[in-house]
Amino acid sequence: MEIFNVEIALRNFGPLLAGLMLTIELTFVVIAISLVFALLVALGGMSRFAPLRWLVKVYVEAIRGTPLLLQLIYVYYVLPEIGIRLNSFTAGVLALTLNYSAYLSEVYRGGIQAIARGQHDAAAALGMPRMLAMRRIILPQAIRVVIPALGNYFISLFKDTALCSVVSIQEVVFTAQILAARNFQYFTLYTVVGIMYLAVSFPAARLVAYLERLTKAGYRRRRS
Amino acid sequence: MNDRRPTRPMIEVEGLHKHFGDNHVLRGIDLAIAAGEVVCVIGPSGSGKSTLLRCINHLEVAEQGRIRIDGELAYATEKRGVFRPHSNRAIAAVRAQLGMVFQHFNLFPHLTAMGNIIEAPVHVLGKPKDLARKRARELLTQVGLADKEDAYPEELSGGQQQRVAIARALAMDPKAMLMDEVTSALDPELVAEVLATMRDLAAQGMTMLVVTHEMNFARQVSSRVIFMDQGMIVEEDSPEHIFGAPRERRTRDFLRTVLER
Repeated sequence: MEIFNVEIALRNFGPLLAGLMLTIELTFVVIAISLVFALLVALGGMSRFAPLRWLVKVYVEAIRGTPLLLQLIYVYYVLPEIGIRLNSFTAGVLALTLNYSAYLSEVYRGGIQAIARGQHDAAAALGMPRMLAMRRIILPQAIRVVIPALGNYFISLFKDTALCSVVSIQEVVFTAQILAARNFQYFTLYTVVGIMYLAVSFPAARLVAYLERLTKAGYRRRRS
Repeated sequence: MNDRRPTRPMIEVEGLHKHFGDNHVLRGIDLAIAAGEVVCVIGPSGSGKSTLLRCINHLEVAEQGRIRIDGELAYATEKRGVFRPHSNRAIAAVRAQLGMVFQHFNLFPHLTAMGNIIEAPVHVLGKPKDLARKRARELLTQVGLADKEDAYPEELSGGQQQRVAIARALAMDPKAMLMDEVTSALDPELVAEVLATMRDLAAQGMTMLVVTHEMNFARQVSSRVIFMDQGMIVEEDSPEHIFGAPRERRTRDFLRTVLER
């Protein structure tokens, strides 16, 4: 069995770190877009306009019923056949955003539906039209409810970006594959990659746990 | 006491019917409340009292009947005998004229007492924030909570929350207040402070329609008492008559059971 080779680890640390940075960049771009897009999907799913509700339902079911890997391949290799040619990064962002938005929209929907009927009644009784009540009263409370769930999805997104190697994005796993193909130091390289993932995901999980405690603490005055 | 003409009708209800599934909860309600009147609605649970209140500001949609607020037909337009329901915006505009206070307060938990009170004046009426805040402070003082403007609802007792809810409704300068069992969810020792606030409001000439189980409040404060049972108004009269010499047997039976406790 090969042993961990410190020299190899150090020599390849630079390119691997560059790969990790791309992984993180990909994660943040997808988070930023899907936070907004998923909310629109959730609101569309609750619309009074039936065709919009059906469209949302078809989209969510199609995404949830197929593998993310297939969705990535589809966006990168099949869309060009109908004239939509995307570079690797854009294809990865598009597929991941479509995938995660479907799941996140369900999270938002759950959060919105968790808000008590009395809140809708009170807003309506004050003369607030439906969308104003949604924006000012319901969503601020719902988002607070779903923050921990969103956080956990984002951690799993961070790990799922590894699948983007199939569309040739040189994120950290793909970088390690390329390096290992040259020097055959699988143990060392993939161990470094594993540690890199943990170095990000472990603190992120602690942060989510902290946010969860914070959101459960209720609404109180902050005393300084 | 005030210069409003006592005969001007503020809330008029005509032939109101409402079903929940097979349950016929309102069976033809006719009712008129004049400006400045304080009308208490009493009756056993399930008699349709709360539904009536909720229909008046369209939180429940009645299948039949007309509602007029300050003389204007609300929630629908009539053209040659045909009714067309109003748009959501028009419905919201009527609701903005009526204050409603709920059994479970329904304060917005993510906003402070101040935030709760200025929310609708600022975002529905477009009132400048500083003016809304000034008015909110007056109202908080009126309900005895001048020192609580920065408190969040869950930092307040039930009685305090309900008084903030009353202030929140008053901040819209409503033409009338609808109060739906506003003391029923309170611990007994907190009921008095809310009733005192309601008495003040009545003394200031506010038009009030109050669904309540507080018989003493109904007896002492109301100008008229309505007894409802099984979706109908069984009897309406002055508090002296309702509590002293009720005409209907059902009224007598009900009052006997609630007053005996």
